[in-house]
Amino acid sequence: MTSSSDAQPAPGGDADGGANGNILAGRYYGRGIPYLPLEGYPGKLIAIEGTDGVGRSTQIQLLREWLEVRGYGVVETGWTRSTLMQPTIELAKSSNTLNKLTFVLLYATDFADRLEKEIIPALKAGFVVLSDRYIFTALARAGVRGVDRLWLRNLYGFAIAPHLVFYLNVDVKTLIGRVLASRGMDFWESGMDLKHGDDIYDSFRAYQNKLLREYSSMADEFHFRVVDARRPVDRIQDELRKNVAAFLEAAERPSDRAPETLVLQR
Amino acid sequence: MTFSLLHATDFADRLLYKIIPPLKAGMIVLADRYAYTAFARDATRGVDRQWVRELYSFAVRPDLALYFRVPIDVSVDRLMARRVKLKFYESGMDMGWSANPIESFRMFQGKVLDEYDQLVNEFGLDVIDAAGSITDQQRVVRNVIAQHVQISQAELSDDELV
Repeated sequence: MTSSSDAQPAPGGDADGGANGNILAGRYYGRGIPYLPLEGYPGKLIAIEGTDGVGRSTQIQLLREWLEVRGYGVVETGWTRSTLMQPTIELAKSSNTLNKLTFVLLYATDFADRLEKEIIPALKAGFVVLSDRYIFTALARAGVRGVDRLWLRNLYGFAIAPHLVFYLNVDVKTLIGRVLASRGMDFWESGMDLKHGDDIYDSFRAYQNKLLREYSSMADEFHFRVVDARRPVDRIQDELRKNVAAFLEAAERPSDRAPETLVLQR
Repeated sequence: MTFSLLHATDFADRLLYKIIPPLKAGMIVLADRYAYTAFARDATRGVDRQWVRELYSFAVRPDLALYFRVPIDVSVDRLMARRVKLKFYESGMDMGWSANPIESFRMFQGKVLDEYDQLVNEFGLDVIDAAGSITDQQRVVRNVIAQHVQISQAELSDDELV
């Protein structure tokens, strides 16, 4: 398990401007949504992944301000934030009737709603979409709960591969300190449904350890850029900005060279 | 997509609470509609056929699946005779094909029926001619079920439903 970004090559220096050999970026992972073909939409999708309490929302807020100052239109989307599904998910979590399958499917429904109503329209309109968590959170949580991995990947075949995925990596020890210092441990984030025992601390540790392992196992498959999230906020932000700037610059360059294709695509 | 996934969620919930436990207890479960409805309806709405099949791969394969086939005209006539108000989604009004509910129903359900016809071979559905009388249909259904379920003759002659 790599816990530091130091071992990763600096993606900003890539010859392809940071696309990182991710040929799927901006396209559907799998079978997609036949009635919503993605035809070279100008927007960019950037996902910030990482487990609970790792500092995603702080980083996204800073990234957003920085992008807007530079003149980009920014749209944020976050896990379980769809207006259609959020109340249902909260209700289901508060009762004891959820099982791993309905849990997965509720998340997927929420994601589908946001994809169709928020993410795809924003990409079409040329926004930079900052996604606070993406399908990888769902894959990790379901993976820990023993849901079939191939089935999960087929299920999320309608998801769009982000142009960039930042994975904020942290070790459990650091995580425990942060979570306890802020809001404390909650039932689901501690994986209490997995019944590791009555002790929330032990359960949190065991569950988050498994989650981190799941995330790490996806790093290559989904082109994660692993960011060491144990560092101070501004250091992390610097790294994110460098990567995003390099990517956006490279993405904008070809259209300068070939303005005629722009006219044709109108 | 959300329509498809919401139904799948509901199905998963019913599968785990209402279908699997009685099956484990050795009971007969009668399901009014099953995953095939989703296959037909979601494909009509433009969702990828293979994706929906993979989505429902957690479903238990029924021992017997009956498909009550009826021409679209008979279906519309029956609904109209009962003067039921056609439901928005049942009529496929969300597709925006027609502002007239009956016309939309005809178009949408017509396509759904085409999808069902493909499912008959793919999943080996037993087709029941649902244009006939209720009594005729029930006789056919009982015969088909009797071939799949161990029922003593005494019970068969009984008029009660299995």
